[in-house]
This record gives sequence, C-alpha cells and structure tokens, in this order.
Amino acid sequence: MRYSEITIRFCGIAGDGVVSSGKIFAGACAKIGLHVMVNDIYSAEIRGLGKSSSTIRFSTSKLNSMGDGIDLLVGMAAKESIVDLHDIKQEGSVMYDTSTPGSVVEEDSLVAHITPEIHGYGIPIKQLANEASGTNQGKNLVAIGAICYFYSLPPDMFIEQIKAIFARKGERIVETNITAFRLGYDYFKEHYPLNNQFEISKGLKPKTLISGNEAIAQGAIDCGLKFFAGYPITPATKIMEIAAKELPKLEGWTLQMEDEIAAISAVLGAWFAGKRAMTATAGPGLSLMSEMINMSVMAEIPAIIVNVQRGGPSTGLPTKVEQGDLNIALYGGSGDSPRVVMAPCDSEECYNGIQLAFDIAEKYQTPVIFLSDLFLGQRIETVAIEPNIDRERCTRKRPTPEQLKNYLRYQITDDGVSPLIVPGESGAIYSITGLEHSVTGNPNYESDVHSMMTAKRFRKFESMVADLPQADIIGDEKAVIGLAGWGSTIGSILEGMEIARKRGVTSKLIKSIMIHPQREDLFQEFFASCKKIIVPEMNYQGQYADLLKSRYGIRPIEVHIPSVNPVSPLKIAQKIMEANDELSQ
Amino acid sequence: MSFLSKRSVLEGLNSAKASKTKEWRDNLPTWCPGCGHFTGLHGLYEAVEKLKIPQKDFVVVSGIGCSGRFPFFIKGFGLHGLHGRALPLATGIKIANPALTVVVVGGDGDGVGIGGGHFPHAARNNFNLTYILLDNSIYGLTKGQISPTSPMGMKSGTSPYGNIARPINPTTLALAYEATFVARVFSRERDMVSDIITKAIQHNGFSFIHVLSPCVVFNKLITYNSWHEVVADLPADHDTQNRSKAMGLAASIDPIYLGIFHQENTPSFDDLSQQIKKGLITPA
Repeated sequence: MRYSEITIRFCGIAGDGVVSSGKIFAGACAKIGLHVMVNDIYSAEIRGLGKSSSTIRFSTSKLNSMGDGIDLLVGMAAKESIVDLHDIKQEGSVMYDTSTPGSVVEEDSLVAHITPEIHGYGIPIKQLANEASGTNQGKNLVAIGAICYFYSLPPDMFIEQIKAIFARKGERIVETNITAFRLGYDYFKEHYPLNNQFEISKGLKPKTLISGNEAIAQGAIDCGLKFFAGYPITPATKIMEIAAKELPKLEGWTLQMEDEIAAISAVLGAWFAGKRAMTATAGPGLSLMSEMINMSVMAEIPAIIVNVQRGGPSTGLPTKVEQGDLNIALYGGSGDSPRVVMAPCDSEECYNGIQLAFDIAEKYQTPVIFLSDLFLGQRIETVAIEPNIDRERCTRKRPTPEQLKNYLRYQITDDGVSPLIVPGESGAIYSITGLEHSVTGNPNYESDVHSMMTAKRFRKFESMVADLPQADIIGDEKAVIGLAGWGSTIGSILEGMEIARKRGVTSKLIKSIMIHPQREDLFQEFFASCKKIIVPEMNYQGQYADLLKSRYGIRPIEVHIPSVNPVSPLKIAQKIMEANDELSQ
Repeated sequence: MSFLSKRSVLEGLNSAKASKTKEWRDNLPTWCPGCGHFTGLHGLYEAVEKLKIPQKDFVVVSGIGCSGRFPFFIKGFGLHGLHGRALPLATGIKIANPALTVVVVGGDGDGVGIGGGHFPHAARNNFNLTYILLDNSIYGLTKGQISPTSPMGMKSGTSPYGNIARPINPTTLALAYEATFVARVFSRERDMVSDIITKAIQHNGFSFIHVLSPCVVFNKLITYNSWHEVVADLPADHDTQNRSKAMGLAASIDPIYLGIFHQENTPSFDDLSQQIKKGLITPA
C-alpha cells in the first residue's frame, strides 16, 4: 500500500508514556516536513486509574481535523486498547505486545479481540524495552521504531528527534532510547515484509509544531502583554506557564493568584493602570469571574479572558472537549451587559485572534472573552504562523489637549468610546466605580443618566463593527447548502464538506472569529443564499444555533454533538448528503 | 437632620487642621455624622499631604460598604471596586505601575468576610500596598447586620436570636498572614491615625492598619465609649521585630492594644520581582 496520509493511535494507561510517544512521533514527522495534528485523550487522574491515548494524523497535505478512524493502533496496554479496535479503518492494523503471552484472561487480551479484517502485528514491546534499558522504560520508543519501519519513514529524523527531546536528561538516556528505537525497527524488519510505503516527496521543509494554547500565549506576548494573572486549571494552565517564563524577560510579570476572582481582579487593576493584561481559565473559573467581568463592562476597564472550554457544567469533564460555554460567555452577566466574544478555529487564529482581541479591548474599553476549547488548546499541529511582534502596541483613545481642560472619564461621544488617561499620566485625575455613574465617574442613579450610559456602552459595539474582520465564506459560493460553525468544529466541517464534495454534493461555510458582535450584513446575505443551513457544534443545546436563530431569524438543521471527542468529519458529510436528499425530493 | 449632618461634616472639614489638607479634599463624604471613617479619611489626607505624593501617582482602591466610597472623597485616582475584591484589584495596579502609591480601603465585611480569601495572599506576597481596614463590626450600608468581627450575642436583622459565631480579629490575622507592617489604631485618636498611616505608606512592603472605627447609627454594642474604656497603647518596650510577641498582644481583648505591633524590613514583592526581571535568577 502507498499512503499519503496516516492516522496512528498509541493507547495505554496513564503513565505508559503514551502522550510522549505522540510528541516524539509528531516532532519527527514535522522535521520530515509533513503536516501533523496530534490529539491526546487522557483522564483527569495523574496515574493508574485512567486510560490515555495519543492520536497522530500526518499527511503530505494540510490537515483540518483529526479525520475519522485510524490506520494503526498501537496497544501499549492490552485491556485498554480493546475498545479502540472499533476505530480501525478497513485494511487497518494493530500492533500488540507479545512479551507476556498466556498470562492474561481472554477477555482482557487484545489479540483475542482482533477480527479477521484487521491485520495484527505482534512484537515483544516490553521485552525489547528491557533489553535496551533494563526496565519497562522506553516501551514507546520500541513501538515508534517498529512504526517507522512499518511505513518506511526515514529513521534518521526520528533519531534526531529523540536526541532533541532527551538531551537535557543526559547522554545515557538518549543512548538507551535510541537503542530501544532501533530494536523495534530491527525486529519489524526481521519479522515482517515491507508492505507499506508512505509517500514523501522531495523538497519538503521542516515545519514547526504549535498548540492553540501556545499560540495564544505567544500572540499575546508579541502584541504587548505585560501582566498575566491566573489560577491553574485544566486545560488552560499551559498559557499561564508560558507567560510565567517569558513575561519577566520583557519587563512584565505573571502572578499565580489565590483564585479566579483574584485573577480577573488583578487583570482589571493592571488595565486600569494602562497595561495590557490577561487571564486564562476554563468553565468553573469563568463562572467565578462573572461578577468582575461585569465590572469591566460597567466601569469600561478592558479585560482579556481566555476560556479554554472543557466538558460539562460544574467540575464536569476536565480533560474532555465541549463547546458548552458560549451562553455564559455571551449572557453570563447580570443586567444589560454587552461583551465581546471571540472564538478562534485553529492555532493560526489563536495567534492572530488574541492580538485582535487586545486591540479591541483596549480601543473600546471592554472585556473580550476569547473562547478556545480543549481540543484546539492542547492539540499540536504544524501551522506556519507569520509572527507579528509589536510589544509597545497601544490602541487606547487618548484625550486631546482641549478635552483634558475639562476631563470627563465617561465623556459621551459618537462612537461611545471616551478618551482615556491612566494613573501616573498628567492632566487629569478621576475615580470610577461599578455603580452607575455620570460622565465624571461619580455615582449617579438618575433615570436619564442610566439610559444614556447604557446606550453609550452598547453604542461601542455598533462602532466596533467597522474594525471587525470579514466573515470567511469557504466552499462553493453557488451551493445552496450552507453551514455555519465556530471554534475547533470548523476543521471537521471543512473536511466533511470535502468528503461530500467528492461524493458530488457541494456546500459552503460561513465562519468568523467574531461571535459577538458579528458582521451581520455578511451573515444575512449568506443565509439568504442558502436553501438549507446546517449548524454543527459540540454541545447538547445548540448554543450557537440559538444565537443565529434569534439574530438572523433562520431555522437551521442543528447538529448537537455533546461528545468528548473532536467532531467526526464523516458525520458532517452525512448531514450535508441528507440535506441534499431532502432538497432533491 | 440633613441640615445638621451637613453642618457637622463641614465643621470637621473646616477645622484649622483640616485646612492644610484642602488640596486633597474631593466630594463631600456621604457618611453619617460621627462616623469613625472620617478619622481614617483625615488621616490619609494628612499622610499624603505630608509625604507630598503627586495626585497623578496616587490611587485609592476600595470594595463595597460604607468605606467603599472613600476614593470619591480624596483627590487622586480612585477605583471603587467590587465587594471584597479591592486587594486583588490593587495588586494588578501596583504590578502594572510600581511607581504609583496604592492605598486600599475596606471594611470588616469586605476585608475579612467576602474578601477574606484575598487578605493572606496580598500580605504574604509583601506587595507594596497599604491596606486600611475600617472596622465597625457591622454591615452599615445594608443597615445593620452582623459582620465577621461582631461580638457573640449581638442581635441584628440577620441574627435575631443573637450572633452565635465567634468574632475574628483582623490584627492577629494580618500577623498570621506574614504581613510585614501591622498596626491597630482607634478613630478617636486622630493624631495617632495620621501618624501610623504615614508610616504605613512609607513602609517597603505590605502594611496593614486595623482601624477601630465605630458605626454610630447601627452598632449599639461597639461604640466610641465601649472601645474607649478598653484601648491602651502598646507597652513602650514592645519589640516590633518579634512577631510571636506581637501576636500575643494583638490577641488581647482587655486591654485592646493600639500602635505598631510589627514592622519588618525585608525585601518587598517589587524588590524580589525586580531581581528576576533583571535576569539575576534563571528559570526552571
């Protein structure tokens, strides 16, 4: 078989080195110059209790999603891998450990569950690891060596990657791991004929791997982030860890606070003093921040809140993905509480989008909730991001000398944005509050003042539309089946559309990083050109569909996928085909 | 009543002493006549006047409660934040611009009730903030409910059978939280209040001042007179470097000691973070 795209899954128990297998493998593929996407699935326990897996999809062309099914399953732990046999594609394979034959009961044996249409490959993984290291350490490298041979990938790149990753652990560890890799490679060479060939064209350039979380942190730092306040929470912690390491080098600072309330408070404090600041959290943390986000709305102090969505209400599913936080992001404030909500769909949008978020927050003196999700935040992928570095970037509207003569913190303007000076600057002083207030900032509860100020806060959102990026329309412009999506689901939608196109049904997609406010004109026009509209998303309620329904008066086909895994492109394709069938009836 | 209250406030503000701090006065305070908080405000006027702090570099941050309106009564920048969140708001301001003088003002409900979780961390980080806690042992703005510092047995709208919880002591908390400057003052003693606020602002690191500040309208148990009978200056030979001794004196309820319990010269957050920013420490 000749392949130009492969999906491999390492499956084991927590502590098996499954996630690091994914990292090593993906790193080598990126070095070769392939496109790679990696998705890790693990439990919320550190060790022992849970199963974990790392799925690596690599290809000679750009990848949008994790696709459907796997070509090769590597069963590092037999019992835990059994259920994953169902995900193996037709003509797919499984690699299993033969080190301890006969010592397991049949129902726990991986081999016993392999059906005839799956090709099974036995290899004494544990035994070879022991040969290399004297312990079970290095099992994953034995497997990687075997896979490298199995798909005839260049072993040099893998050895280079092993050296790079383990260098800081010392010479001996590097040598042991290379030995484990070679033993796996040689075992396969000796025992199985070379049937597969992964097509690698010449002239591929090495690519860099980045996760959504890393892209957000880097994007923020590159556009002038000076202060990060946070509280560790899965799956957002990585953003804080990067900020903690990098900001002090740039005259900035990262502070681990006592809770999320303190984190968002400190972020508002820093913005009040004129510095670009942010926090990053997930569902439970966002809930805690609600009141201070409303202070940001009321007092018109900017704030950036990254929310890396995980599953469920409450503590929920800390290590599983869901797009269930759109409603709290949009509507989670008491009173008339407008806020900007953005949702990037890939790492590149994480990088560029967070920079746009800072520019909007600072210019319009508003909170921006930046909704990533666990899949997007943690998956690593090969994306070429064009760096945009300007650490002194500032979009604050400053007062004219004339305005400073009689400075009004909440001066009424056409665009709703009041000129702003900050503590430490000369020219004016003021005090502000989360109470309703007059143009000076003094508390004021009069009816006409409240109406005027509420209108001012909402007017900013109308003015903002001029600064918003165009919505992207992708696919066949003439198609009558239209899709609308948000966040990491977009990748699966694009791939689903491609599958449907190959089956003869074209469709188009409208997507925007802006959830609120949105370029409503473009969305209206798009929906008007569709006979069927499909809105897939990873939640039970159809939260984005609800927004679109109320905003545009459409009645879409809603696809609610409250799954713990990324959305299946085939499922999207199926919906497109069904919509097409309905149209032709 | 409104005429009387306004007049008594103005009398206070127009006294010979107060005229020196005219430059710092902003909106007319909304507190009731006789409120202990006036002393805290005057103390801060005098401290910033004496220290010649530029108004553009001065920020007062407050939470919610009667004390919360403080920023509107004094010139400079002010942030009237959310209930209990004054300390983390101030933290962000100070880290963003260490050149600013940041004073945090709050009440007992704000500081050791709803915001009680922030107090230890602001203290142990030794942020260069001055925290003035105006303690009247009552929720005044909501018209008289028990607070975390109310005595046992106190009857109120929310404790009609009497308070059955033990009151906590903000001074001992500050000592336990590793604050590097801890003082207690009584709002009847204006000079001492001004003097200690001045010293607290000058302190390098986190300074905490517990102000016994009676609510003359809603608290009938804890009053100027009840406190007056039990307060006493700290012993003249008290060693402000000895935290455990300070703890014992701070815990005393008869007498209730006034003065500086603890003052420690140790690197502040600004000092330590600066070392890291200068690249003197390598990351893990």
